[in-house]
Amino acid sequence: MSGISGNNDFQDPLEDYSPPTFDDPIEKKLHEDRAAAIQSAPFTAVPANMLVADVLKQMIGEDIACVLVEEDGKLVGVFSDRDVLNKVALDFESASTRPVRDLMTPEPVFVRDTDPAAAMLTVVAVSGHRHVPILDGNDKILGIASPRRIADYLTACFG
Amino acid sequence: MGLQENFRKDTVRQLNLREAVTVSPTVTVRGAVEKMQSAKVGCVIVVDDDGQAVGVYNEAMLRNQLSGSRDFLDHAVSEHMATKFPWTLLTDSVETVLDAMQVNNTRFVVVLDENKKVVGLTGQKGLMEYVAEHFPQEVMVQYVGNRIQNSAREGA
Repeated sequence: MSGISGNNDFQDPLEDYSPPTFDDPIEKKLHEDRAAAIQSAPFTAVPANMLVADVLKQMIGEDIACVLVEEDGKLVGVFSDRDVLNKVALDFESASTRPVRDLMTPEPVFVRDTDPAAAMLTVVAVSGHRHVPILDGNDKILGIASPRRIADYLTACFG
Repeated sequence: MGLQENFRKDTVRQLNLREAVTVSPTVTVRGAVEKMQSAKVGCVIVVDDDGQAVGVYNEAMLRNQLSGSRDFLDHAVSEHMATKFPWTLLTDSVETVLDAMQVNNTRFVVVLDENKKVVGLTGQKGLMEYVAEHFPQEVMVQYVGNRIQNSAREGA
């Protein structure tokens, strides 16, 4: 007898590797569309050493709720309205003179452009992140999906 | 039934509503910000003495006001809130939430009962949770960067 226990009842929850089938056209579309089908550009990326005051000016000037933070061409964080609310608003004098890398949300959850569109939506549902960066297979930043862009995509799906 | 049909038949009552974080009109913006911080939400609903919603104040408004003097933090939130805001009834279809978000370019939708009293908040996250329930495989195996979940959520 081999194995780590005498119980053979274990079942791999992912053992069914057959492609899912969908009766519903919207579910099929969300599964077959790639994340790249959701608008992700234009987007704004700032260097990690940029001062928070300057990042905030850029967000206000462009009326955007989130910027991507990059270092050496790689995504290292996002800085959003939530960071402004929690870390800047009531401590502006001190926070605004710091580099954005100190106050950004590091290691953001992202999706690949080749992931299903449904994966993008589940990131929002599971992680609570409302801005989701999209990267290609080489970790190059392709853009960011905002609530507006996701809503537009869903509206088009539901027709 | 599939997502397309459910979307039009299910009601807002079936969404995971977020607790409504409310403040009175006389609370300062600073007080509203502190309440948003502690409740981990990006929006407070301003209600009158009868519990009727009279406005909303959210983090996008806060961001834009930070371009000038910070004196606004000590003003009453009623001076800076938006008095027009999207809302939906518990008995409306889920579809109305998406419509409200898109038409108003917002991710927050205030949920009211039949007496127009505030009962909760929904929007992008509630809608995505609803859609994601139709994709259990994506939830199980999705690639979400280099860790599963940040310690502090970005979204409300």
